[in-house]
Amino acid sequence: MSATATLRKERPVEGLGFHKKPSKAKSTERAVFWLFRLGTYFILLCASVIFLTIIFKGSQTVFQSSFPFVNVEFLTEAPQTLHVFEYEGEKYELSDNNFRAFEAERGVEIKTDTYAYSGGGIWPCIVGTVLLVVGAMTIALTLGVLSAIFLSEYSKPGKILNAIRLSILNLAGVPSVVFGIFGLGFFVLAGPIFSFSPFEGYDFQFWPLPIYFGFAGWNVSLLAGCFTLAFMVLPIVISASEESLRAIPQGLREASLALGASKWTAIRTNVLPYAMPGILTSSIIGVARVAGETAPIMFTAAYAMRDQLPWEGLEKWSDFFFQGVMALPYHIYVVSAKIPQNEYTERMQYGTAFVFLVIVAGIALASILLRIRMRKKYRW
Amino acid sequence: MTKEAETNRYDLHSRSRRILGLDKDQALKGLFGGNALVSIIVLALITFFLFKEGAGFFGQYRHEIELYRRSGLEYVEIMKEESSSYTELNRYLNSIKGEHATMLKEQGLSFSEAKAELASYEDFIYDFEDLGYPLSEYVLEMNEIAIGARDMYVESANYREHRENLLALGRDEEAAEVEVLDVDLSLFVGMLKEGEPDFLAINDKLAAGIERLTSDLPTIGVAKLDEKMQRFRQLALMFVAEMEGYETRLKEWDSQAPVGMGVAFASFVFGKDWVTNSSIQDWYGILPLFTGSLLVASIAMVIAIPLGVGAAIYINQVATPAEQNFIKPYIEFISAIPSVVIGFFGIAVFGEFVRRASGWAIFSGFDIFPISERLTAFTAGCLLALMAIPTIFTLAEDAINNVPKAFKEASLAMGATRLQTTMRIIVPTSLSGIISAILLGFGRVIGETMVVLLCAGNRIEIPDFTNGVATFFEPVHTMTGIIAQELGEVVNGSIHYRALFMVGMVLFLLSLLINYLAQKIVLKYQISRG
Repeated sequence: MSATATLRKERPVEGLGFHKKPSKAKSTERAVFWLFRLGTYFILLCASVIFLTIIFKGSQTVFQSSFPFVNVEFLTEAPQTLHVFEYEGEKYELSDNNFRAFEAERGVEIKTDTYAYSGGGIWPCIVGTVLLVVGAMTIALTLGVLSAIFLSEYSKPGKILNAIRLSILNLAGVPSVVFGIFGLGFFVLAGPIFSFSPFEGYDFQFWPLPIYFGFAGWNVSLLAGCFTLAFMVLPIVISASEESLRAIPQGLREASLALGASKWTAIRTNVLPYAMPGILTSSIIGVARVAGETAPIMFTAAYAMRDQLPWEGLEKWSDFFFQGVMALPYHIYVVSAKIPQNEYTERMQYGTAFVFLVIVAGIALASILLRIRMRKKYRW
Repeated sequence: MTKEAETNRYDLHSRSRRILGLDKDQALKGLFGGNALVSIIVLALITFFLFKEGAGFFGQYRHEIELYRRSGLEYVEIMKEESSSYTELNRYLNSIKGEHATMLKEQGLSFSEAKAELASYEDFIYDFEDLGYPLSEYVLEMNEIAIGARDMYVESANYREHRENLLALGRDEEAAEVEVLDVDLSLFVGMLKEGEPDFLAINDKLAAGIERLTSDLPTIGVAKLDEKMQRFRQLALMFVAEMEGYETRLKEWDSQAPVGMGVAFASFVFGKDWVTNSSIQDWYGILPLFTGSLLVASIAMVIAIPLGVGAAIYINQVATPAEQNFIKPYIEFISAIPSVVIGFFGIAVFGEFVRRASGWAIFSGFDIFPISERLTAFTAGCLLALMAIPTIFTLAEDAINNVPKAFKEASLAMGATRLQTTMRIIVPTSLSGIISAILLGFGRVIGETMVVLLCAGNRIEIPDFTNGVATFFEPVHTMTGIIAQELGEVVNGSIHYRALFMVGMVLFLLSLLINYLAQKIVLKYQISRG
């Protein structure tokens, strides 16, 4: 860029006796560059319109003008039916719980207009999304980073390694809905189950141990969703981590080995610390992707409505993993496409979209900032 | 690097501790290797599993088509085609009347006056409609027979399976109680075939009737409409000529003709219908979904390519550093917007905006505007373009950035303007990278689910490309959308379930192909960097 800038400055001006540039070429240049400029700013404008619409309308749901300024009910309650009614000349909009309390307090029965999904809040969706992301990233990072270390540090370069790299790279581009149907067919319907007691559809027993095994499926559950999402980001995590590992100059490893360090010591002290920021960035991108995807969890983990929070009403600990959860992206889909639309659902839609956008965009922003900082920090 | 054996010989530290005959280094290598193996197995498993579930589809589908033929439904379908093309004629006739009615209304005639005007040829229309009744009733009757036969057959097959299951479990007594009817489909087909002379008689009567009626066409008195009347006569006579074809097809039809795997395959790949949960016959043809996906993706690419590549050129070649530092992260940030949020924006704001905008005065010159649908291929395409732009932009910008500085400097030194340098040197040099960026953007668009599910309108039909530009403003359904919409409701292992897996497999292969091409292009057309 600086080269261009200086060039522009030192271009011969009139009066030096050089032939003047044909003005036609200059004016086309200016016109074409303006076209590009307009196109670029048009993209920014479109994106800004989306952001601003959702932020503007969503913040009306999430924030309020009086203390405590944040709509606590929206962030801490489960989605409920909204009751709209008039009582003693005043208009009320109350979600189901509050409405029952209101009735009990006054000792009356009131006829109301009800709107499904329009009252209450989105707390279970936030919880579900967090659980899915944590679960999926734990699986994906463990498998992904360790695999990347193996592929870049231990494996022998050759045709097989190249083929594996190529196929991992290719899998990174597979549509998420394909992972969704895989998750449904594999985990939800045919996931392997171990149990201490015989269950319906078990295949065999590890005799004489009282352990039964069978491909009975995990049903729509947190576990199935985590695994589906994990496998979706696995190619991305592997290829991004491997790339940042391979970006470390050979010299560092060699110097360390020359000093008598073992292979692992060399990797631990001279490769991983420098590759860590890169791995971290890739994993944050993975988190944003996992949190933002809807298609893979639609049939593997998400319930449209569930009254209990994941830790409520469990009979045994394993039930925690084998229960469906609500999730923010799926909730947006449900409230915007599956239920009748009216002014009250709109509030819910924008509020959910706003919270979701803030979460995902916040994660993504962190990764972008981190990357920019890193680029400045390490230059080989 | 790879000769760890030698390294370890002099590595006294790691030699000292051994667990299960492995030193620490080897154990760690095993751990990493094990993980890598698990990852690779898992990823291979995904591919394998998709193929396994999809592969069962063609067998089941062949079986379904076979049943469709054996039970005579196919035979009835031929008659139905004839009947529906007659209905089409009726509709044409009625459209003439409708046009006349609106014309009269515009002339300011009152309702009764207009009615009197129309009455002159209303009888003709009614007569024509009446001619078709025997045909449509006959077809309905035959349809009942064929469906009844098919349903009985399926039911008895289910009972038989139930009985066999009971026998296998050793519950003989219960099994004996299950009554299984032996349904002989050929009996029913015989009934259908027996009726053929009746059908031919109906056809003859119909042909005679049409000829009688069309020989004496009523005149309306409006040149444009009379022209249409003449056209109607031609169509009607064409229909009469076509009847011969239906009759020969009926005659040649054989319920026992073999149904090969090829038929099932062709019916999936080239099938024009995707009909599920139908009482007559389910069809799983991927063509309407595939063309829908393609249409939406092409709209998106038409918008995204100029904008994305243009922005990449602008940022890399023209923009000031301040602009670069702001715009690049911003566009990258766009890719972080979750697709469901963009879809929601489309359904809540953008779809309505497009419909309103199509009614603006500047578009009044085009007869396709204003459009009536809110959710169309165009709506989804625009939003998908926004999702493809970051991909295209980032990769194209990278490619442009990789062009050696010397190329640019040499060109400028030769006296080329910046535009000439950009267009003739920089872009051609980085063209392979730009093309692969476009391909990857295309891959992203065609695999996108939530936006098309929410905004494309979800009408399963092959877009009618004869409509010109209006095609883009029709609702469509897509491959990704159908999976998301229908997978939640299917029975495990049913043909519908497997059909969706096949659609998933098509998507999978398509995205692999796109990725592969993108990589190949980058490698093959890389200009040597001297």
